[in-house]
Amino acid sequence: MRKGQGRLLAIEAAALVLLLAAPRFFERGTLNDIWNVAFAVILASAWNLLGGLAGQVSIGYSAFIGIGAYTTALLSLAGWHPYATLPVSALLAAAFSFVVGLPTFRLRGPYFTIATIGVSEAVRVVASGVSFTGGSSGLRMPAGSFHFLRDYSAMVILAVSVVALAAWIQASRFGAALRAIRQDIDAAEALGVNSTKYKLLVHALSAAIVAVAGSLFAINFQYISPNSVFDFRLSLSIVLMPIVGGLGTVAGPVLGALLFGYLQIKLLSSPALRDSYLFLYGGMLILVMLFEPKGLLGLYHRLRGAVTRSGARTVPDAG
Amino acid sequence: MPAETVLEVEGLVKRYEGLLALSGVNFAVSEGEIFGVIGPNGAGKTTLFSCLVGSVRPNSGEVRFRGERIERLAGHAIVSRGLVRTHQIVRPFREMTVRENVSIGAHFGRGRRRGEEARRRIAEILERTGLSRRADALAGTLTIGELKRLEIARALATEPRVLCLDEVMGGLNPSEIVEAMGLIRSIRESGMTILMIEHHIHAVVGVSDRILVLNFGLKIAEGTPSAVVKNPNVISAYLGED
Repeated sequence: MRKGQGRLLAIEAAALVLLLAAPRFFERGTLNDIWNVAFAVILASAWNLLGGLAGQVSIGYSAFIGIGAYTTALLSLAGWHPYATLPVSALLAAAFSFVVGLPTFRLRGPYFTIATIGVSEAVRVVASGVSFTGGSSGLRMPAGSFHFLRDYSAMVILAVSVVALAAWIQASRFGAALRAIRQDIDAAEALGVNSTKYKLLVHALSAAIVAVAGSLFAINFQYISPNSVFDFRLSLSIVLMPIVGGLGTVAGPVLGALLFGYLQIKLLSSPALRDSYLFLYGGMLILVMLFEPKGLLGLYHRLRGAVTRSGARTVPDAG
Repeated sequence: MPAETVLEVEGLVKRYEGLLALSGVNFAVSEGEIFGVIGPNGAGKTTLFSCLVGSVRPNSGEVRFRGERIERLAGHAIVSRGLVRTHQIVRPFREMTVRENVSIGAHFGRGRRRGEEARRRIAEILERTGLSRRADALAGTLTIGELKRLEIARALATEPRVLCLDEVMGGLNPSEIVEAMGLIRSIRESGMTILMIEHHIHAVVGVSDRILVLNFGLKIAEGTPSAVVKNPNVISAYLGED
């Protein structure tokens, strides 16, 4: 294990202990906010594996949230324990990721990105239209399936695990293959990297994680509808968080999720600002693209470099 | 040469909208040979390499590597069989260090090395290609001479049986060219077969055992360097029609 990984593991363990102890010290409202931020961290970190590390931009991730949420709701209504549905959500989402990935990952160019928009919209339309999903009025989880502390703990454990997984992937051969694919897919292929296989694998992994988060969303909110889980704006925020935080890094998506989570909580509590968040997100995206393409993390490295003026070079993938 | 044939190309044709880049090229390369491919600009040399390693699908013809047809295989599958190329226009992973660049070849090439074994091989190759001192530099910061060597280092890290070098001397100064020729000879001495494209006849004549000359996608000559440079077709292709 490398030195940086050891430090990260320590931070992760401390974060997990603090988050699990939080219910002793905070009231429900604060815990709900933490839940929301943890949800955002999972989505951003999982998306970043595909979009940031491998450079395959998907704008359809709400489809996987929806698949997870609906799987859990439907199976719970059929008598399953809600948590027993999580592996099914993960598998279904992974399988579905191939529907988009198989035909498009072999092609060079924007085909994958375009397909993700179309497919996720199609999934939303189907979920709104068929009767077993409750159509546009959605589904309510069975009574007695809600247990706040349990659901809170599940969400923070998942968030910490996903960040740990991202750090592990980042340092692994798998991560190296993904970075090579992002930087020059033909050169990667010319050195033996099976680019289609690795893209499919990371897409499936990331989809499975997002679907499990979607399942936990359904369990926590107890009610889901196509407009809550298949929202295109949700797909957009998932893309923006890692970009604003720092694409292709471990800490970047977490920073982005913290910022977005915080903003969303603030904005939603203010009626005047409730509808302006997309404007705000767009503004942040433009600022990042213009001034700091490496996001908040890049800004941090730059500031730290300016302050210490040490000769130490910042490695873009560390973090 | 009694050595076994390692690579055979038969009737290779590649068409790009209206342009015949390769029109029925045939040749065979023996194990352990340095086989030069020369020709004027646009002769089809790079297209030929692209067809060999699977980055471009030929319209017709066969490529046999150690007896197996490979012209329909994906690039990574060809690398894993032991046929690899470098790029004329260097294609480093700019945001990775030199060492990480080489590690991609070591991890995913024919050797599929891991852990300590991979580290040792990477160090060896960096040493051999003179990149040890730059191992932790980002590839985006290298000079053109270093980038050319990085192309070779990454390809070597895949542990090829046949190494295709695409103008590795292009853009180098005379002393770097001498170094590069030494490197190529030392690679051959380790038992590897080498195909090399060079734009300039003289760079390739010095190291090749045999030379193939292409012009407008056609083979116009093939043979030993001394025979090829005297071939009237070759002379007229390089000096222009009289």
